[in-house]
Amino acid sequence: MTMLQHGSTQLLCLTASSGVPLFTRGAAKQLPFSVIGSLNGVHMFGGGQGVVLSSCETEGGGKVVWRVFQDSVMLIAVSGGEQGGACSSKEEQVRLQRLLDNVWSCMVLVLGQDELTNVKNVERLKRDLRSCFSLIDQLLEERQEGILGNLTHCADSLLPPNPTLLQEAVDGFAQAADSEFSCLIVHGRIAAATEKWWRLAPQEVVLLSGLLRSLSASGSVSCDYPVFLPQGSPTVAHRLLRFQLLPGADVCVLCGPTPSLHSAESGLVGRFWTPLVETLRDCLAVGERCLPGSVSLRPDVLALLLINRETRRSVSCVRTSTSHPIGDPLLPSKARCWELLKLFYIFSTTRYFNQEEILCVLPEDRAQRSNTEDFVLGFSHQPLQCYLVTEECKSYGIQTPQHQLFLLFPLSVPTFALRTVATKTLSDIVAATGF
Amino acid sequence: MAAANARKCTEKTVYRGQTEEEDAEHEHDSDCESTSSSFNSSDYSNDLEPEWLDDIQKNGELFYLELSEGEEEAALAHAANQGVATNHVRFSEKEAEVITEENKKQRCGSWTKGEPPLKRLARILRRKRRPSQRRVGGKDGGKDNSTLSSPPASILKNQPGQRQGVMFQQQQQLKEVCVYVNPKRLGGSSTPLSDSGGLLEALLGVVHRPSWSRGPANSAGVKQEERLTVHGLIPNSPAIKCGQILIGDVLVAVDDVDVASENIERVLSCIPGPTQVKLTLETVAQVDRSNASDTSSVHRMKASPPVSQLVRLLWGEDTAELQMSIRHIPHIVMYLSLKLDSASPQDEEEILYKYPVSEASGQLKGVRGIFLTLCDMLENVTGGRILSSSLLLGKQLVHVGYWKESNNLLVIGLPAARVPLLYLQTVVGDVVRTLKVMYGSLDSAFCKADHAPRLDHFFCLFFQQLIQPSRLRDGSSALTPDVSGTLFVDGLPAVRWLTLPPEIKMEVDTVLSDFESSDFGEMSEDFFGLRRLYVILGSCLFYKSYLIANHLPKDDLLDVCLYCQHYCLLPLTSEQRVGQLVIWREVFPQQRAKGSTAPGYSQPQGRHFLLIVGLKHFMQCVLLEAGGAASPALGSPGPDCVYVDQVKATLLQLEVLEAGIEERLNAPSAPCLSCADWFLPAATARDRLDNLAPSSPVFSKIASAVKGSSAGNRGRSLFGERSRRSSPQRSLSDSGSEGHMDAGSGSGSLMAPGLSPHSTPDSGRKLGGRRNSLGSGGSDGSGISGGLFKIPRMKHPNPFYLGTLRKTLTEKETEEMYNTMKLTSGAENTLFHYVLMETVQGIFIAPTNREVAQLSGSIHPQLIRNFHHCCLSIRAAFQQSLPTRGRRAADRPQGGGWGLGPVKEHGVLFQCKPENWTDQRKPAPTMTYWVIGRMLLEPVPQEFYVCFHDSVAEVPVEMAFRLSFGLAF
Repeated sequence: MTMLQHGSTQLLCLTASSGVPLFTRGAAKQLPFSVIGSLNGVHMFGGGQGVVLSSCETEGGGKVVWRVFQDSVMLIAVSGGEQGGACSSKEEQVRLQRLLDNVWSCMVLVLGQDELTNVKNVERLKRDLRSCFSLIDQLLEERQEGILGNLTHCADSLLPPNPTLLQEAVDGFAQAADSEFSCLIVHGRIAAATEKWWRLAPQEVVLLSGLLRSLSASGSVSCDYPVFLPQGSPTVAHRLLRFQLLPGADVCVLCGPTPSLHSAESGLVGRFWTPLVETLRDCLAVGERCLPGSVSLRPDVLALLLINRETRRSVSCVRTSTSHPIGDPLLPSKARCWELLKLFYIFSTTRYFNQEEILCVLPEDRAQRSNTEDFVLGFSHQPLQCYLVTEECKSYGIQTPQHQLFLLFPLSVPTFALRTVATKTLSDIVAATGF
Repeated sequence: MAAANARKCTEKTVYRGQTEEEDAEHEHDSDCESTSSSFNSSDYSNDLEPEWLDDIQKNGELFYLELSEGEEEAALAHAANQGVATNHVRFSEKEAEVITEENKKQRCGSWTKGEPPLKRLARILRRKRRPSQRRVGGKDGGKDNSTLSSPPASILKNQPGQRQGVMFQQQQQLKEVCVYVNPKRLGGSSTPLSDSGGLLEALLGVVHRPSWSRGPANSAGVKQEERLTVHGLIPNSPAIKCGQILIGDVLVAVDDVDVASENIERVLSCIPGPTQVKLTLETVAQVDRSNASDTSSVHRMKASPPVSQLVRLLWGEDTAELQMSIRHIPHIVMYLSLKLDSASPQDEEEILYKYPVSEASGQLKGVRGIFLTLCDMLENVTGGRILSSSLLLGKQLVHVGYWKESNNLLVIGLPAARVPLLYLQTVVGDVVRTLKVMYGSLDSAFCKADHAPRLDHFFCLFFQQLIQPSRLRDGSSALTPDVSGTLFVDGLPAVRWLTLPPEIKMEVDTVLSDFESSDFGEMSEDFFGLRRLYVILGSCLFYKSYLIANHLPKDDLLDVCLYCQHYCLLPLTSEQRVGQLVIWREVFPQQRAKGSTAPGYSQPQGRHFLLIVGLKHFMQCVLLEAGGAASPALGSPGPDCVYVDQVKATLLQLEVLEAGIEERLNAPSAPCLSCADWFLPAATARDRLDNLAPSSPVFSKIASAVKGSSAGNRGRSLFGERSRRSSPQRSLSDSGSEGHMDAGSGSGSLMAPGLSPHSTPDSGRKLGGRRNSLGSGGSDGSGISGGLFKIPRMKHPNPFYLGTLRKTLTEKETEEMYNTMKLTSGAENTLFHYVLMETVQGIFIAPTNREVAQLSGSIHPQLIRNFHHCCLSIRAAFQQSLPTRGRRAADRPQGGGWGLGPVKEHGVLFQCKPENWTDQRKPAPTMTYWVIGRMLLEPVPQEFYVCFHDSVAEVPVEMAFRLSFGLAF
């Protein structure tokens, strides 16, 4: 009956001025052109009357979000709502807004801002945009579990057991490649990076991590990929060199015309990284836990997301069910845990906790965002912690000047104990890793 | 004419003599008197027409609101000395000014102490006669020229000084005075208009003697156009009550129309109905106001504000000005047709209704195509009806809510700054339900052309309440605008409930039941041998906006309450004493419209009418059914006098209980509350405590809280040693115990010696520290508060009163029972605020406004605003999970895409700092507190919201249980 399947999201991209469809992604069945036309039409009509349509909500959690970027590209996300109609519209709206934001940055990352804003040949743009599809699809489907950066705009990190060795290697490697931007990615998460890498805009770090994940998923050992930095240099491309060190561990460097991929691969990679193979293996062994073995989590923590608000890095993990009897029906599955963690993050940040990066996005975006996130501003006192008890689990969130911590607990943990466990967990991790 | 008037008056006087039971406080003219008849006899007099008769509209609807005279002053005086018993000396009442000192005392007594009804009745009877004579005398005053001999003392006292001022300074000043006048009352008055005083005397109460009759007294007089010097004031008249018109003033203008002796009658005769007029007077500068210390009460009353905007809005005046002030804020309501007749493409044909007309709303109107298209299209795309859109108009974010009914679409646009998206649906849902209750369906509401003005009024109220609530309530400073609070409280599908002491509750219920049984004279079927006109389905009773009795099914109650909320009737009756409120209209109760759910039973197909009658702070809503058991209604019947009078009689009957209810409102709350400010470390809190100390009733609470906190037996970090020592309570009560206190980090029971001078041995020994935080709620009213600070003893037992039961309990049990008084656990009372909603009965309880006001403080109001804002979020979280509650895990899609799931409990921890902390050296002290919401399904569905200090970990379920158990709905 409905055109869009429940739970699926479709992304529409059109030129803002003329409404020519550029591409649609997501959802098995594409929306009919008439619908796409109307969705674009209502927004354009409003624009002419001085009214900017930003979002729409239907029963059952369906959502439509519009956004025009640089007066040139219109992105529309349509989400089909949920089966049970239980998904909170607010959470969904935030997800979609993040999605549009990321998709646009992705397009800039790959094609550069100029090509998107000065469209001379629509057909050619359409063709060029295909190169973004893999990245966009990755954003749409959120295939890889445990990557929350697209949502949090904090780089997913992995805390290696011996960070100093890796840090030295990354710094040396970057220097040798005549660059200041380099990072080591393990299991799709940043294990070490140069200081300058962390100075990139948080969203850029997240998108570059995403790009590196998709590049390494292609299976090649090394590649040389031109990238624009959506905020740092949207019009001048840089070269992103990526080398696979071990399966699951990649190192990359962002550089100018030199060195060539070949010279870097043959000369530098071996020199800096061969001595560290064992360290890298230890690093890989950390796996999805992201935290070194020195940190012992309490057994009743189901899932965890820790954000450092200053460095814009995050660590997240979901406990594998080894510690709990397998098939315990009372505990949510791993995938569900990730889902719940994400939802709880959105829930807390839209209602109570600030999302810092308002400070570091473009001014125009800031205006729009501060308008949509009006609820947080309504509090006369500062929210510090919050918790939620649902039928599946208990969630707890803490915000300190330095950190944000989000935790999931099984229902068996008494509610009054949550706070103690949460504060203890936070202090334990910070003490052990200096995160 | 004059003769007729005179006759009426005598009738009235005689009549008064006959009806013994009439409450002397009441003077609502003819209709009141007639109602009182039904107490014992049925000599209902048809000669006396109720004032509201003229206001009945063609369709039978009636909205008649009349403020009691001098209402504004009373409200102000009330606000000025909040919570003091002398409030109840009713300066504003017609008789109060002339009542003797002795009589006054008697009144005071009647207000502060509960009395057995019989005694009270006897006293009323005793009191009754004099005022009514007095009243007649007052009214006749203009005629027999005796006015000047008996104006209220206060004015006379003021006079001489000002006279002197005239002599020395001759400094003329213009002043503006607002007075409330009611030409409708003239009918009952005996003053012949043809007499020299005319309307000036009759309406305003200003006595002016033209110079030819008085001789050369008035120096300013010019023969042709004589200035209107005030030569006298008539007792109980608007002029004297405002307290600002002095003898010797010159009336220059009425509502900015220049007046003189020749045109004054004409100008005044243009006043159509009860309203407020602005008088401009030329006066002499007051020499020295401060020396008039004995007239302080008059001074207080002098700040007579204009009648509040709300009342003016309800009277249907002045909407343009209010509307102007919010015209830059985008808001709109439109009713659009989705079925367009394309054959005749007329401009704006699809707009069936819209409001308001302003630039910002015009912009929204311009994009109605968006709303229509989205509504049409999205249903097919996402498979659900459209609920809301968000738009940016320039810099302003506007949320638009939709409601589709058959082929039409209701669109309501509101600024996001006022209504968060989280709550938009509730707001729209409530408006739709209100409209449906009033008109049956949206179509019938919007599609009739003659409804337009009424709908304009409806939506004017709607937007004013949401966008500038402070403006509507400008009369009362007590209520700070709290948009979130209003949104949250009004959005609850429940009515605010006030628990009453059982015997009062029983009496109220009995009176209501008696009324509902319709077993009185004219209404009983065999009286006239006719079928009765209406069957009373039930009624509910409000006192000062609290529901105190309800005999309606939940859904009907909510329907009625939505109507009352929309027309601000509840705040109206709580803030102002309503002279008379009569509302009559056909309604369409939603549950009854839907048809019965129980098999084998079908609702009678009748028409329903809502009758609301308000007197003073009481308001009774009655749901009537015509058809079914009663005779079917034909056409659009207006209110039936018999029913209106019967409700009034009921209310008059209930009035004897007012004292008891007031006492309940004044009593310390059952679960004791703490003020947030007390929990900030001493540096700041101390000053506040000192400031508060003199206003005694509050102080006892502080005392208990401070003691409670000093008991802090578990070594709380927040209250360091420093703060303990500096507690003012300590130094006040017992300096000798200092050492003990400092060492007293042991158990709470060690407190007793320190307290002993002021606590009765009994409570001190038994309950120790714990007792302290209970406030003076204990029925024995002793303890610390009883000794040092006099608190009116509680006459009625609070819900926790154990009565005789207590004697049989062991000590330990007693202690436990007392603990239920205090909602929070631990030694000290950490509860700041709570809201408990009973979903089944559709009622909720929360601390009364008065309790909140008593806590005062600077942080506390902030905290409550914050609490309400947070509750919006918590309730939204509960709401979004509600639809799925029915379906269980079975059809839940596994593995993602399912939202957070049903939320049972949700809490947020807040931190607050005192504002503008100037001390650079020290960091500002902080206080942390929880706001927790809990949804309970067992044993009865409830929603519980609570706010308490962070020091003790609480289990909200237990708190909710304690609260609901103790209050026993």
